[in-house]
Amino acid sequence: MPLLKRVAGIIPTVFGVLLLTFLLVHLVPGDPVEVMLGESASGADRMALRAELGLDRPLPVQFSHYLGRLAQGDFGHSIHTHAPIAGLLAERLPATARLAVLSLLMAVSIGVPLGIVAALRRARWPDRLATLTALTLSAMPHFWLGPLLMLVFALWLGWLPVSGMEGQGAILLPAMTLACGLTAILTRMTRASLLEVLNEDFVRTARAKGLPERSVILRHALRAALLPVVTVIGLQLGSLLAGAVITETVFGWDGIGRLLVESIEKRDYPVTQACVLVIALVYVMVNQLTDAVYSRIDPRIRLTT
Amino acid sequence: MLRRLFFLAVCCLILTGCTKSPDPSEIRFAIAQKPLTLDPRYATDAASERVNRLLYRALVDFDARARAVPSLASWVSEDPLHYRFTLGQAGRTFHDGSRLTAEDVVATYRSLLALRDAPHAAEFANIAAVDTEVTDTVLFTLRHRDEQFPARLIIGILPAKLLAAGHDFSHHPVGSGPLRLLDWNRNLLLERLDDRQRLVLEEVRDPTVRVLKLLRGEADLLQGDLPPELVGYLKQQPGVEVMVSPGSNFSYLGFNLTDPKLQDVRVRRAVALAIDRDAMIRHALVDASRPATAILPPEHWAGNPALAPWPYDPALARRLLQESGVELPLRLELKTSTDAQRVRLATIMQAQMQPAGIELVVRSLDWGTFFDDVRHGKFQLYGLTWVGIRTPEIYRLAFHSAALPPAGANRGHLQDAELDALIDRADWPAVTARAHALLPYVPLWYEGQFAAVRHGVSGFQISLDGNWDGLVTIVKQGH
Repeated sequence: MPLLKRVAGIIPTVFGVLLLTFLLVHLVPGDPVEVMLGESASGADRMALRAELGLDRPLPVQFSHYLGRLAQGDFGHSIHTHAPIAGLLAERLPATARLAVLSLLMAVSIGVPLGIVAALRRARWPDRLATLTALTLSAMPHFWLGPLLMLVFALWLGWLPVSGMEGQGAILLPAMTLACGLTAILTRMTRASLLEVLNEDFVRTARAKGLPERSVILRHALRAALLPVVTVIGLQLGSLLAGAVITETVFGWDGIGRLLVESIEKRDYPVTQACVLVIALVYVMVNQLTDAVYSRIDPRIRLTT
Repeated sequence: MLRRLFFLAVCCLILTGCTKSPDPSEIRFAIAQKPLTLDPRYATDAASERVNRLLYRALVDFDARARAVPSLASWVSEDPLHYRFTLGQAGRTFHDGSRLTAEDVVATYRSLLALRDAPHAAEFANIAAVDTEVTDTVLFTLRHRDEQFPARLIIGILPAKLLAAGHDFSHHPVGSGPLRLLDWNRNLLLERLDDRQRLVLEEVRDPTVRVLKLLRGEADLLQGDLPPELVGYLKQQPGVEVMVSPGSNFSYLGFNLTDPKLQDVRVRRAVALAIDRDAMIRHALVDASRPATAILPPEHWAGNPALAPWPYDPALARRLLQESGVELPLRLELKTSTDAQRVRLATIMQAQMQPAGIELVVRSLDWGTFFDDVRHGKFQLYGLTWVGIRTPEIYRLAFHSAALPPAGANRGHLQDAELDALIDRADWPAVTARAHALLPYVPLWYEGQFAAVRHGVSGFQISLDGNWDGLVTIVKQGH
């Protein structure tokens, strides 16, 4: 039942996202009919196409039709290519998912150990180096970091392809670009959390019992310190999807982020709405999942709380 | 811990693997924008039109001076309302092996007339009927006289039987051009019919990334859409050859003639005189760019070589503004897209105009918003480029008072009876002279074209309008 309640709680969020997206894409300047017909079409042709696409109806009517179709699992068709949007999403979503998951793995496998080292060597050179690294990584925007990584790893070292989805390791550079921000956050978060936990009574007790330091850190302190880190990872997965919009464009990675950018440029309303809806759904679901994992790690927290 | 690390490593391997490497025998062309559709009836963007020229053949093509010349067919005009086209023998085989016939021509143009959502339909609204006569002959009957009619027939011919079956040409083109599409998954994979050479068109939006791909060998060819500093950088790189050539794409500043300040032609002339085109061409544009005087370049058959470019004379510009009675400094807003090169050029103009007493405010907007503002007259000045213009009909579309948006591209709302009459009479030298005097646009330049190829790649010819016809002759050595 608590789980059902949580699922029901998603509905208002998703509805809000749908409404906002619908209003925003319809209110920003730009008209798909003009993009499609160009400048020499007659007024009658424009009106006919507007009617055919349903764009001549009042916005509330358009929105209710849109909701009705969504309820039947129909995302509609692209205004420009006439392709079914569900097919476009099915084609692009796995590419973005691969990118996001690999970025997450990279960020966790670098950020968490770096944070642990920084906490254990507090105020010494490893701590300063880790903090400096985290600050530098978090300060670099994706559109700048991407070409920089290409220059180093593709052009100078020749290890990886510059961009695109072909060639061995093509995913590594976009994943590294995407992972940098999250790595920085996880490093700082793990460091701060572990430092706090290391001063707790139960850690002192574990040491007093004569447990080896390695066991104290890994089995006792780290387990408690990772609670806020898990929350951050869940929240940041949504940021990874948002970051993918820029990273996929820079690296020519055919994911949902690039599809979103292209659809906005062409004022392809149904595709834009579908992309934003999918990103929002993933975001909400990951948050719910984070809550579930959180309650597993810390038995004091229950879904009902 | 070790088990977790092992799990992580396996996940990484799964996620990074599963990719195929490019075939080194393919010629890879990194393009800024991929085509939107391979159906020539719907194509309006430059990339679609450029690739469709190679996938399909049209009845008519253009020579070096942009005069209409026979491609699939030659023609005679029996009277001002009837044009008879006779198919020749070249390019008569569709990629599916069937023969291109007069019925295919008729079916293509009839389908175009029947479509309500096709952007080119309006251009052919003047066709009253299109019919086959004897074998290989098509007769077009017009509603009104149109001396430019043959030059309009540049839509690729589609097979009638596939049109009848509702075939999706947008992603599965069947034409009779020199290239055919093998696959369009992420990239376009094309094959040249003559020698089976495969060509890959890969969209790479970021100009820096395109350059890096060329240097790394992931691309064999780039053409256009690079800022001049990257072109200069490429010229210094070993293993890369950069070719430049004059272009015909016309860049301009458009005025809103409904704006009270800009209705006075002296103010418009002041703006034209306040821009140092030569300096901009020298320092901020690709080599081979040249000052423009009219939409069509002087070498075009309807061009006007007698027109002189506007000189840079800020003192005269200031005097004109003072004479017009506007308050100095004159504050004007220039709208442009967010393209970095466009913003840079606008910023240079901003600095150049200051001595003339013009305070130029630059507003860069995302493309959709920018173009919507331009279409709806929400601007004082805007900067754009006409790309791939072949016929003088552009003057009707851009300057005739019957072409006010949304029914045309007279975005500045120019209304001049004398110019309308000249356009209606097709007196193009007089049209260009009148437009030069009225100054609805400040002509800026015809941007130079360039291409860069890796060593070992040859045979690519640059065209005036930046089309991709060079793909028909390009060769990669060793493959």
